[in-house]
Amino acid sequence: MTAPRTIPFFPADLFAPDHGTLLDLVYVIGTHPEQRFILGERTARLERELAARLGARHVVACSSGTSALTLVLAAIGVTAGDEVVVPAFGCAPLAATVIGLGARPVFADIDPVRLTMAPDAAEALITGRTKALMPAHVFSTMAEMPRLRAIADRHGLRLVEDSALAQGGVLAGGPAGRWGDAGVFSFVQVKTFGMPGEGGVVVTDDDEIAGAVRMLRNHGQDGRHRFVHHRIGYNSRFDEVMAAFQLHRLPGFDERLARRAEICRYYSTRFADLADRGIVAPPADGDGRCPYVYTLLADRREELRAHLAAHGVDTHVYYPRILPEQPAFARYAAPGGRWPNAASAARRNISLPLYPHLGDAEVEHIADTVRAFACRSRKTP
Amino acid sequence: MEKTEHILADPAASPAPDGSTPVAFFTQAATFRGLWPRIRAHCAELTVKGKFSHGAKVAEFETALARWTGARHVVGVNSGTDALVLLLRAAGLRPGDEVIVPAYSFIATASAVVLAGGVPVFADIEEDGYGIDPRAVAAAVGPRTAMVMPVHLFDRLADLHGVLGVAARHGLAVVEDSAEAIGMRLDGVHAGLLGRGGVLSFFPTKTLGAIGDAGAVLTDDDAIADAVRALRHHGRTGRTLDHFPGIANPTELVGCNSKMDDIQAAVLLAKLTRLDADIARRTALAARYDERLRHLPGVRKVPGDVPPHPGGTRVSYVYLVEVEDRDALAAHLAARGVGTEIYYPMPLPLQPCFAHLGHRPGDFPRAEAACAAALALPLYPDLTDAQVDRVCDEIAGFYAGSRR
Repeated sequence: MTAPRTIPFFPADLFAPDHGTLLDLVYVIGTHPEQRFILGERTARLERELAARLGARHVVACSSGTSALTLVLAAIGVTAGDEVVVPAFGCAPLAATVIGLGARPVFADIDPVRLTMAPDAAEALITGRTKALMPAHVFSTMAEMPRLRAIADRHGLRLVEDSALAQGGVLAGGPAGRWGDAGVFSFVQVKTFGMPGEGGVVVTDDDEIAGAVRMLRNHGQDGRHRFVHHRIGYNSRFDEVMAAFQLHRLPGFDERLARRAEICRYYSTRFADLADRGIVAPPADGDGRCPYVYTLLADRREELRAHLAAHGVDTHVYYPRILPEQPAFARYAAPGGRWPNAASAARRNISLPLYPHLGDAEVEHIADTVRAFACRSRKTP
Repeated sequence: MEKTEHILADPAASPAPDGSTPVAFFTQAATFRGLWPRIRAHCAELTVKGKFSHGAKVAEFETALARWTGARHVVGVNSGTDALVLLLRAAGLRPGDEVIVPAYSFIATASAVVLAGGVPVFADIEEDGYGIDPRAVAAAVGPRTAMVMPVHLFDRLADLHGVLGVAARHGLAVVEDSAEAIGMRLDGVHAGLLGRGGVLSFFPTKTLGAIGDAGAVLTDDDAIADAVRALRHHGRTGRTLDHFPGIANPTELVGCNSKMDDIQAAVLLAKLTRLDADIARRTALAARYDERLRHLPGVRKVPGDVPPHPGGTRVSYVYLVEVEDRDALAAHLAARGVGTEIYYPMPLPLQPCFAHLGHRPGDFPRAEAACAAALALPLYPDLTDAQVDRVCDEIAGFYAGSRR
């Protein structure tokens, strides 16, 4: 018996309750006498409100989470000849932003359970050329930031926190984005504070980084003297329509995040006993969780995927390949390098639907379907 | 609308100190209001599709713009600046390659070269117009020169026949900074398609403007188009446009995130339907300015005095005059509620970010002269004939004696 409709992994109706507001905002901003569309008052207000929520000195809005990483790396002076230690498992910008500045990404293996950069592995890769560590939070788990912070401090390195996907997460009392010298958030629609367009922010307490990022995001201008360009900058700005929409949605963020966390907890409770049947779920509770994407590690992933599809559940495999084996990055990887935990995660990761408006019945159906697959499977030795 | 008003509370444009109605340097509010049924329909469609960047509206816009320009490929990205960076990389710029660019332009012309890994080499502009001087290009060619990038500023194509000739003689690739040049054609071919490729910016003030940042690469070259398509989406090949699962495609190139928002594509699709009419209206407004300003004392040059190069068409994106006492005139107009812009106050080689290149005042005399005298006046389809007359009256009043 299949479900009456497929439960999408990437739902089309993420913002359905706010579509009317979105159209209103497009009209009001399009016809407003001020005719200010980019980096205006609404963007400044969004930056202030996010900074206040995070207790951060600076939030600087820009065109995407990826661009935010580039701006931070440029602001701290990463350049040709430098190395930045990044996890071997994760999203392309971890390597591409470093290479884009002429530096070299050095790939560290990950923790087999958290799937985030293993601090010991990262520390072992530090050389005289290392400029920064750039751990990333992955799926629903924050990286081991206290240890990474300590390693960075011990070696006099910068710590850049790729918290693009982890907005709302908290570890040891420290919010995601607040552990590094600077952190970033992405607002692309699927993220926890997603929006109907591209955008992101840099979060930092460091006045120099914030000042440099503000300059770099708008062609190296200082915000006072138009058409005077102090540095080679980027065009990485934030649109007013999006800022207005985010201001409208900010009050509901905690509630949406709580619903995501509730679904994660339910999944993990239902899957807690499947480890010896070849399906490893993240823990149901614990510190340092960020309910962005719910990911299982499944030995027989393709079969599980097919089983779920046959029962009306759409899934996604984010990272079928580790970063050092992506064609674009292979030439930067250490010859003969091995990243066994990352490779294992790449073989096994599969993500289930997770969004605030996912109904209880859908969540139960998804959990039941995963369990049915696991329980009819042979136990793995 | 009440529920969003609190987010949008801004003072309305206030009258000038003397009580006259201001003339904004730019507005598209009336155009937007007129197009709202179309914009609304496009936005409603995209909310149903539910992919809000790099989605179906972006694809639809690319197709519509390809038809309008005649380009084989239009690739939508986050800005005109990004379009330049990605075009240069896709066209094969290697680290350390030199690209000859004009000394007079918006910063992105030169910064894009640096961001793409290259080195900008500056050449002065034509004697009459604002495009790169082909003779200066020839003089700037060196052993590391790989490309030349003419820029089509304001209302007129650079001397492309001249530049293409120099490039052919020296084996250089030509890419066009056509960010401002939508609608401009040379011998019937749209700007951006005369060399390996070009770009468009849809910055709100542009002839085809969004209500946020957006841009595109134009090219007839399949390989360049494919490379730009991958580069804008983290270097991923295969289908990613309007296809969420494509985020797991292999990363073949070192890319970035330069996806276009579908809401911007929705606005652009609506505006594209009246682009021809908008261009005609700009032409009429520019002609009215020319007529009124041409013989005013203090006005040295109006755009209509500089004809397009043979085979080229004019599209009046920016109405830029050269005047005496430029800064005083701009201040006078501002005090009278008339917005202006100085495009551009400083030649690119003398910008602080290029200080390390060691250029000095006097190295690029034509660019420097333009920077000292150029003033852009309000020009957009919402502008009325009466507003043009008002701006001209204020300028005439300034030079008639009120300036001292």
